[in-house]
Amino acid sequence: MPALPAFLARERTVAGPGYSRWLIPPAALAVHLCIGQVYATSVYKNALVAHFDSSLTAVGWIFSIAIVMLGLSAAVMGTWVDRNGPRAAMFASACFWSTGFLVGALGIASGQLWLVYLGYGVIGGIGLGIGYISPVSTLIKWFPDRPGLATGMAIMGFGGGALVASPVSGRLMELYDSGYDAADSGSVASGNAVMLLFLTLGVVYLAFMMFGAFTVRVPADDWKPEGWDPSEVKQKSMVTTASVSAGNAIRTPQFYLLWVVLFCNVTAGIGILEQASPMIQDFFRDGSSSAVTAAAAGGFVGLLSIANMAGRFVWSSTSDVVGRKPIYMVYLGVGLVLYFLLATVGANSTALFVLLAAVILSFYGGGFATIPAYLRDLFGTYQVGAIHGRLLTAWAAAGIAGPLIVNAFLDAQGTPGELTADAYRPALLTMVGVLGVGFVANLLVRPVAERFHEPHAPAEPTTDAETQPSGAGRSER
Amino acid sequence: MTGRIAFSWALVGLPLAYGVVETLRKAASLFTG
Repeated sequence: MPALPAFLARERTVAGPGYSRWLIPPAALAVHLCIGQVYATSVYKNALVAHFDSSLTAVGWIFSIAIVMLGLSAAVMGTWVDRNGPRAAMFASACFWSTGFLVGALGIASGQLWLVYLGYGVIGGIGLGIGYISPVSTLIKWFPDRPGLATGMAIMGFGGGALVASPVSGRLMELYDSGYDAADSGSVASGNAVMLLFLTLGVVYLAFMMFGAFTVRVPADDWKPEGWDPSEVKQKSMVTTASVSAGNAIRTPQFYLLWVVLFCNVTAGIGILEQASPMIQDFFRDGSSSAVTAAAAGGFVGLLSIANMAGRFVWSSTSDVVGRKPIYMVYLGVGLVLYFLLATVGANSTALFVLLAAVILSFYGGGFATIPAYLRDLFGTYQVGAIHGRLLTAWAAAGIAGPLIVNAFLDAQGTPGELTADAYRPALLTMVGVLGVGFVANLLVRPVAERFHEPHAPAEPTTDAETQPSGAGRSER
Repeated sequence: MTGRIAFSWALVGLPLAYGVVETLRKAASLFTG
């Protein structure tokens, strides 16, 4: 890997006296709000199908490639991110994410779908993975007293990114194509409008993410929050003060138990997300018509997005108070009960159905946002970003398994949008079992054995350039 | 520093608030039909 330019070097980002840690969450949000756009691709999906004269499946590959690349790049680049610090990681993420849009725009303009796969899917996907993990270990170091709150704020941004990108993209395509009406579900924007949208998003996201890159700082080695006593941490048996490297972490049973926990939680959440709109219509179907209109079903999807985003912040913050293992018992144990109720009595009332689904989706979001703090508790802050990156392969796997499970059951019953509540029961009860597996895996989590601990408990990841004594790095005021 | 913190939060908070409001408006159709 070539040497980084000096302005990106980790030692140039050490915070000077008076720097407020409350600047770190907005820096992290600036990155996560941008990369969260990946969940707003449905806005222009039909336009791309028409432009390339292709199928939904072929265009859907753009999103799938991006998500697979997210998981792969987070796993592969995690150690690089931890070693080089958040500014280099955010800078790299911004360059990849923005270039992805620009290459994608070129693909649309030239009518070459493979260029969109390469641009948005592969190049943009690498930006997604690096960007997703870029602020995590830094936030945990700035908020050792409230790591769940800190990572919850950032990862909430990933959920919120689509909420911003979706309406903005609709408005921009209306601007670029006078014949397009975003409010009309039958209206399709021109390929030229989507190409201009990609160019706009590429430029705007680059600027926004650079704000994050040049705002973020790492704390000095001897820094701690005012009034916070690190000795309090030692009193909790599930919170270590030791350091475990990423290489050692993947040799521990705890890593694989958490992998199963995340996999099960995400799989169950996707079970609802994947079919949310047709599901609510089918649950309240009377003959050939449903009591829930298509517009109301769209509103239900929006409500689930809010619950998903809010859960990331609320539940992750709550984990700072109740502990990480207990909060996952809630996500998986209470989630299991709620899923069972959804399958058995969910069709009795629309309000009950909406309430149950919203709480389940808030647990889905909470599971994503709390996992970095859980990793910090078990493995320490030393290489928590790299360990988090490796664990995100569970997300990629669940992204395949969740829809596969749901679609396999529903395909056997008929076509979603023409089914009844009974048809969903086997899929939902399977998810109850999936959550049960995750619940047991979480129960089995114990503190990491001492033989995996680093001998000298390094405070920061070391690099060849960082052999000088602690605190020798320059501060940037 | 306070001004810088307020600016930074506004920069990310305003778009996020816009997205939440737009989504809530859309979600309202769940209750209005």
